[in-house]
Amino acid sequence: MPHTLPKVTGTIDGLKFEVSPGTTLLEAAKTLGITIPTLCHHPGLPPDGNCRLCLVESGKKLLPSCVFPLRESGGAFSTQSPMVFEARAFVVTLLLSRAPKDKNLLKLAEVYGAQADPLLSDGEDGCLRCARCVRACRAGGSEAIALIGRSRERKVAGPFFEPPIDCVGCLACARSCPTGVIAFGEEPRSIWGRDFDLVKCPRCGRPIGTPEELKRAGLTDPLCPDCRRREFSASLLELPEASFTGY
Amino acid sequence: MNSVESQVMVILGARPREARHLLAILQEIQAAFRYLPKEALLIVAGALGISAARVFSVAGFYKALSFTPKGERLLTVCQGTACHLRGSGKLIESLQSRLGFKIGQSSSDGRLGLESVNCLGACALAPVATVDGAVHGHLTPEKALELI
Repeated sequence: MPHTLPKVTGTIDGLKFEVSPGTTLLEAAKTLGITIPTLCHHPGLPPDGNCRLCLVESGKKLLPSCVFPLRESGGAFSTQSPMVFEARAFVVTLLLSRAPKDKNLLKLAEVYGAQADPLLSDGEDGCLRCARCVRACRAGGSEAIALIGRSRERKVAGPFFEPPIDCVGCLACARSCPTGVIAFGEEPRSIWGRDFDLVKCPRCGRPIGTPEELKRAGLTDPLCPDCRRREFSASLLELPEASFTGY
Repeated sequence: MNSVESQVMVILGARPREARHLLAILQEIQAAFRYLPKEALLIVAGALGISAARVFSVAGFYKALSFTPKGERLLTVCQGTACHLRGSGKLIESLQSRLGFKIGQSSSDGRLGLESVNCLGACALAPVATVDGAVHGHLTPEKALELI
């Protein structure tokens, strides 16, 4: 029998949870059906705790739930207390200073009764500095962009504020951006001031990706996923491939 | 090999090529060139096996590191609370107009750089400035110019 660590137990909003040690508070809440608002969190990326929207209360202390791993039993957390509500309202106010027109943020502003404070207006470029794009880029195997500078000057950019040399044009950054503020072109492919070629599937002509992207993925066989699947099943059945057209 | 490359190789050679030495390497490059040449950063990224974006991100985080050449000699004026009350603002204004360049910039011949700092911890001597790290107190614009 595999050795299993004892489960961690506690309560969130009075409901009892039981999870494996190391599970984050955010994940534990999810098992109870409790939704905690997030912006910088993405289930497929390492959490970073940047946006502070997922704050919850534990004994008059605020914790960012997406980066809080549960290790000890007995914790009692609240996602709905006045302290949490107030903290999130302030977080939304701060985030609005950077992205005052973002739809999700405006929805949250309504929930928490927050509004943009003109005194805090800060560039309003729509970027929350949550680094989801940077983490998506890293997770994909490149590290073309980074958060550069400090404080108000901090922003996402390529090295030397130039079009990023290590970018493969996969668009993972733009697609993971919670405010959708990273400009890109799908076809023709362009992002961060760079233009990319697109490799087309020799069978169906559908664009598969950029040459740089395929090289990074180690793909030498440039069929699109659909055609590759069709070819694979055809080879299994040893039937002429023509039998599978018209799918 | 050009001179930037050869000097960077010497700096890199002094340490194991591990990402954790990045900051120390950048500091030495800063000391050698008085700024971080782009070429040097790209060599460092390649040698340590980290991306240029990460090197640039670290390099851009610290005030001690610069992407433009700093002056050979450095006059750093304190802008802390005590110095502020004792007129460091006037001191800086006057230095800027007499030297002809602003805080954070260097003279056109690259011999003198002017910077500010938020507190040197020598408040009793306010207003304070340092010249190449040596502290000078009770400054007036005249005294400050004499120092350099």
